[in-house]
Amino acid sequence: MAALGAHQRYLNRFGWFCIAPSALLFCVFYAYPILSSLYYVTRRWKGVSNTFIGLGNFVRMARDNVFQAALGHNFIFMVIQIPIMVFLALLLAVMLNQGIKRFRGTLRLAIFLPSVTSLVVVSVLFRTLLQENGFLNNVMLSGHLITSPIGWLNNSFWAKVTVMLAITWRWTGYNMVFFLVGLQSLDTQIFEAAEVDGASKARQFFTITIPLLVPIILFSAVTSTSGTMQLIEEPNILTFQGGPANATMTAALYIYRQSFFVNFDFGYATSMSYVVVVISGILAFIQLRLLGGERSAT
Amino acid sequence: MTVVNKWSPGRLIMWLVLLVCAAVSIFPFYWMLNGTTLNPNDVLRGILHPGGSFLSNWQKATTTYNLPLFFTNSLVIALVTVLLGVVVNALAAFGFEKYRSRARDRVFGILLLTLILPQIAIVIPMFKLFSFLKLLNTRAAIILPSIMSVFIIFFLRQNFKLFPTEIMEAARVDGASELSIFVRIVAPSMRASFASAAIYMFIAQWNSYLWPLIAILNDAIKTLPIAMASIMQAYTIEYGALMVVVCVSTLPVLILFLTMQKQFVAGLLGSVK
Repeated sequence: MAALGAHQRYLNRFGWFCIAPSALLFCVFYAYPILSSLYYVTRRWKGVSNTFIGLGNFVRMARDNVFQAALGHNFIFMVIQIPIMVFLALLLAVMLNQGIKRFRGTLRLAIFLPSVTSLVVVSVLFRTLLQENGFLNNVMLSGHLITSPIGWLNNSFWAKVTVMLAITWRWTGYNMVFFLVGLQSLDTQIFEAAEVDGASKARQFFTITIPLLVPIILFSAVTSTSGTMQLIEEPNILTFQGGPANATMTAALYIYRQSFFVNFDFGYATSMSYVVVVISGILAFIQLRLLGGERSAT
Repeated sequence: MTVVNKWSPGRLIMWLVLLVCAAVSIFPFYWMLNGTTLNPNDVLRGILHPGGSFLSNWQKATTTYNLPLFFTNSLVIALVTVLLGVVVNALAAFGFEKYRSRARDRVFGILLLTLILPQIAIVIPMFKLFSFLKLLNTRAAIILPSIMSVFIIFFLRQNFKLFPTEIMEAARVDGASELSIFVRIVAPSMRASFASAAIYMFIAQWNSYLWPLIAILNDAIKTLPIAMASIMQAYTIEYGALMVVVCVSTLPVLILFLTMQKQFVAGLLGSVK
């Protein structure tokens, strides 16, 4: 028995040995920064020195119109872009999975391809495509879809559309792959039964496919929401520093600029990032509750 | 599932939607390749047929935009991250899964909590930490924080679940040490999972933007995304050369995807299983 105990202790020690490198890196590059940032929240930086200001950073935030507008933009992108993208991804997945037989693999590959690009590359490409006298405007002008060029990058309304277009291009195929995997795991007999009962394809889509894919839709929505809350490449490069005139400024970009460009106030920037963390957490919780609850009810 | 074979308006619309979406998805890739052959003014004007400026664009990209330097930086940083990362994360995943204890499960729970943490919340204190360590403007600054990845540990742990513990028991009876069980018996059968993890980590590091943007101000250490970002900030932009840089930074990931589609997608899906 004593030998067995010694062996158990050896196994336990080996277990700790395995996770030790990761645990060390975690402590240094995650835990320590997060804990030390608690201290920044109560401070205000002026140059290299900083002073205690209690909750002053949060009072300042309550009066900071640009920060509030930036959060609002994150929210606009989320509410408009995510439903459109998720629906489109789902629709494409269903079409590829059940609608067609030929060229299935090729079409799937083509639609997934944007997922291999980096967000910086997406921003650069869309910036070159959407110039005032550029490609898309020329095509639309010559097709008589518009009478004067659209200011994709310098009109405060269209710049927001541009950011959403770029995100949709980059992520629809990515989300589609998750839906395809989900669809392939569904029992085809349900659809055959619905077919026999005379349910139309559209009806099958809304009453069978969507309810059965709720867990994956949920996954898609939660990851997209967290991605949208962190949006920074597109507003910084595509619409240039959150322009025009902060019309596409996002929370993450504003925090970045406040800490490394404008006035180097790490205390204020950290406080704002805490607000983003809390909002992201609340949104994830709400989504899990809403859709998760519906799932357990059925 | 029965697939209807006769033509109908519904089918026509479906094909139209699929083809339009596929075309829209692919077009920017054509745009980027074609852009490398155009003279800078034609890039923005939206000329769709190839031009004759490929060589001069390539030359400007390598001299004015230092493309070889940034490419090497990106490659070295991504490869070192992957090499260290796969070992460190695989070991951790193995330890969490095959040597379970209540204490280690609790540690894993804490790790998982950080998965939802937005990056912007961590880069400011990280900047302070690295400036204290005098590691800003070094390759180590980009590599060190991305070696340990909670997502990769989670992904590999799911895969270690499938490895039968009985085989490990048999090796133990034969007197093998735990480390040699991992190195000689478990690891070789996990090659496909390690490949998925390696691809995922390579791409994450190759494309990483926010932290390198903050940690690296020195041109000699910049990676491709940061180099592209600074090109875009300039008053005059050599668009043809820029397209060469864009192509070179997309190609490695594209090749990885096209040659190892299965592992690539497995890495993506790791998170829903």
